[in-house]
Amino acid sequence: MQLNSKLFKVITLAVKSLLQHKLRATLSILGVVCGVAAVLSMLSVGEGAKRESLSQIEQLGTRNIYVKSIPLTEMQERKSRAKLSQGLTLYDAQRIKNGCRDVQDVAGLRELKASVFGAAKDVTPLIVSCTPNYAPLLKIPIGNGRFISDQDMQESKLICVIGHTVANSMGVSGSIGNYLRIENSLFKIVGVLRRIESKVEKSGAISLRNYNDMVFIPHTAASLVNRAASVFGGTIASPEVTELIVGVSTVQQVLKSVPAVKRTLEITHGGADDYQIVVPQELLNQSRKIQRTFNIVLGSIAFISLLVGGIGIMNIMLATVSERTKEIGIRRAFGATYLDIIIQFLAESTILTFTGGIIGIVIGFGGVWLISAIVKWNTAITMLSLVLPLLTSILVGIFFGLYPAYAAAKMDPIAALRYE
Amino acid sequence: MSHLITAAGICKEFHVGSSTLKILENIDLSLHRGEFIAIMGPSGSGKTTLLYTLGCLERPSSGSYLLDGVNIIAATDNELSHIRANSIGFIFQTFNLLPGLNVYENIEAPFLYRSLDDSRINGRIMDSIAQVGLLERIRHKPSELSGGEMQRVAIARAICADPLLVLADEPTGNLDSHTGMEILKIFKKLHDNGSTIILITHDREVASVADRIVYLRDGKLINNATEQ
Repeated sequence: MQLNSKLFKVITLAVKSLLQHKLRATLSILGVVCGVAAVLSMLSVGEGAKRESLSQIEQLGTRNIYVKSIPLTEMQERKSRAKLSQGLTLYDAQRIKNGCRDVQDVAGLRELKASVFGAAKDVTPLIVSCTPNYAPLLKIPIGNGRFISDQDMQESKLICVIGHTVANSMGVSGSIGNYLRIENSLFKIVGVLRRIESKVEKSGAISLRNYNDMVFIPHTAASLVNRAASVFGGTIASPEVTELIVGVSTVQQVLKSVPAVKRTLEITHGGADDYQIVVPQELLNQSRKIQRTFNIVLGSIAFISLLVGGIGIMNIMLATVSERTKEIGIRRAFGATYLDIIIQFLAESTILTFTGGIIGIVIGFGGVWLISAIVKWNTAITMLSLVLPLLTSILVGIFFGLYPAYAAAKMDPIAALRYE
Repeated sequence: MSHLITAAGICKEFHVGSSTLKILENIDLSLHRGEFIAIMGPSGSGKTTLLYTLGCLERPSSGSYLLDGVNIIAATDNELSHIRANSIGFIFQTFNLLPGLNVYENIEAPFLYRSLDDSRINGRIMDSIAQVGLLERIRHKPSELSGGEMQRVAIARAICADPLLVLADEPTGNLDSHTGMEILKIFKKLHDNGSTIILITHDREVASVADRIVYLRDGKLINNATEQ
């Protein structure tokens, strides 16, 4: 018989043998089914989480270092003032830029609590005052018009740049040239941002902002928004910011620049702990480390579940070999070699686990869908999460089928023929 | 006429603990192509062991055995498997059909191990089924067949690849006398067509269809003469 037709025949025979005991075969592959479904689900959840955290970190910019002011209690504020710290200010930005070699630019931002009139009621825009370099540093895309310029900053112009959602909520008046009322001042719209797909979520120590819901005004104009001064306790034309974004020349220099930024701030703040430094690249490394740990845990769980499944397969195959002793004797009498018998039983165990793998993948798909639908976790099914469990199920079939197949092949043909 | 089988001084021993059981002692046997011999003897005389030894399922402890000029003693396990697949057809008392397969598939099963062109397999199977008169039962499983029909399937399976040697171990032992006679007719027909057959039986009437009867007692060949 030719090799390809022999292979087809072996597979057909194996399927026929397995179909003779459907219930037994079904029960024996349950372990593999559960194992594969678990691996697929976990890989997909892990991949989804990884992609989400990576996109959040990338949105923060891997070339940036964030310095955030920490809200202080009255006691902490007193201590901070005693150390002659003025809190986080644009002076810090200037010193960092001048004092750290690889720092290219530093942008400042301040969140303001102020009311906007003219936007739809369901939209609550976040008003921020910032320096002109904020948008280029964070690669915020402008849809129409322009962002805040140096001249706007120097002349404390009453202009604003609005997010896509804010513009939409304002209808016709949300276009360039119209005015937006913030508290008691009218700000001329000079730019509208392009729509950005982003999620407002906490990523470690730093929160991602939804630029679509934001209104940007020049930092020097913040003092004209009346409530800002009262909320933040600042003064007119206060250089105080809530966040500094330090842009480093290259990704490789980011971690090396952190100590220099720290040193500069320690000097200017007199050692007061009224700020924190967040490095997205560190978060990225941390996220990768967590992912690695998660993968090890995942791999262990998958290994254990497939091990249990494989033991079940071995058990059933040993029972099958014992039950089919006579058949083994008959086949040996017909001229089957050791290898023929090994291949026959290996084909059966591999088909069993492969079928289990396929069913497991289908169930795994269902599991992933349920996780996304019910728990609302991000999931992602990759080629690896499909191929890996399937390949593992085949290897489990070969590995755990090997001993029963060997036991079948080494049987004495005469004793097997006489077996009743 | 050339010898198909030349066995000389064949011994088969089994070691059970410290004792040695001699099953076959100094068996000398020669068989021409196309010859039909019957081996008779009481239970435990070593008939089946001799048959399995001649059928390359069992290796003799000592002696020499040439099958169609091939030294069986020196052959490897794989070579013996190849010889069994292509040169020998076994027929057993208990039929030994594979219960999950139908008549056609049972006859087809040994071809998995034979070196035969795929295109010729189906024709061979159909011919052998026709030869034993089971064409209308081709898709039936063993459980749906009578004892006589099962033995006919076993005969078809054994002769399908046109082996050099057909070995039958009490082929009528599990059948009633009428069915047994029908099976013997098939053996006669096979012999008339030139097959070389060795048949084991207790029954003198069954043995009488052979050209020659060989008697075994306590593992020794007693009579190698032709009986009328």
